[in-house]
Amino acid sequence: MAIYESIVILDSLMPPKDIDAAVERFSSIITANKGKIRKVEKWGKKRLAYEIQKKQYGFYVSIEFEGEGDIAKELQNDYNYNDKVLRYLTYRFDKYKLKALRNAEKASEAVSSSAPVTETKPEPPAEADKEAEKANAPAEQPEESTVEEAPSSEEEKE
Amino acid sequence: MIKMKRKRVCHFCETGTVYIDFKDERKLLRFLTEQGKIIPRHTSGTCAKHQRQLARAVKRARHLALIPFVADFTR
Repeated sequence: MAIYESIVILDSLMPPKDIDAAVERFSSIITANKGKIRKVEKWGKKRLAYEIQKKQYGFYVSIEFEGEGDIAKELQNDYNYNDKVLRYLTYRFDKYKLKALRNAEKASEAVSSSAPVTETKPEPPAEADKEAEKANAPAEQPEESTVEEAPSSEEEKE
Repeated sequence: MIKMKRKRVCHFCETGTVYIDFKDERKLLRFLTEQGKIIPRHTSGTCAKHQRQLARAVKRARHLALIPFVADFTR
């Protein structure tokens, strides 16, 4: 099972009720095809970079779901049938996006568990090692400083 | 004329970007010309791996009308 995301641009002149109804219809198609909805996001009304069907504004909706490849086809049938859909894009999460997702999960876990981790580590070493711990703590800072140094070295070359 | 040897570093490698998102058009605009063309690799300094990802992101953003295909360039 792969993760997909489908972004739809709807007519911004539609009443909010109709937009909700349309989103529900799309999500029901996904669930009917044994898909699992992960996230539904309404970006809201946005100005289009160029006119589509003589329209300047569009209402963006994104649906993230998990499922088999045939869902995308079913969705496409529905989008093509619906006049209110200006544009759509359904894409599969590639390895980079999945990696980014995993990294984000790890980061969120690290933030939530950072307090207990720091507590458990200092326990085994003796009191004398406390200074070493202090040294470890600012170890994160040098990463930033290297970034700052990079542009300065370039300036020297110039 | 002494040719300046300036090492160009890939912006995405520098910041440690794993995935280039097509949804934030502001970041993508940095790699487009005024007319909306993708800036070539030898000019922007982007590495091959990220340039491929960037091109895909730009094309998706264009399809969704986040970025213009052609920006009119009136003088």
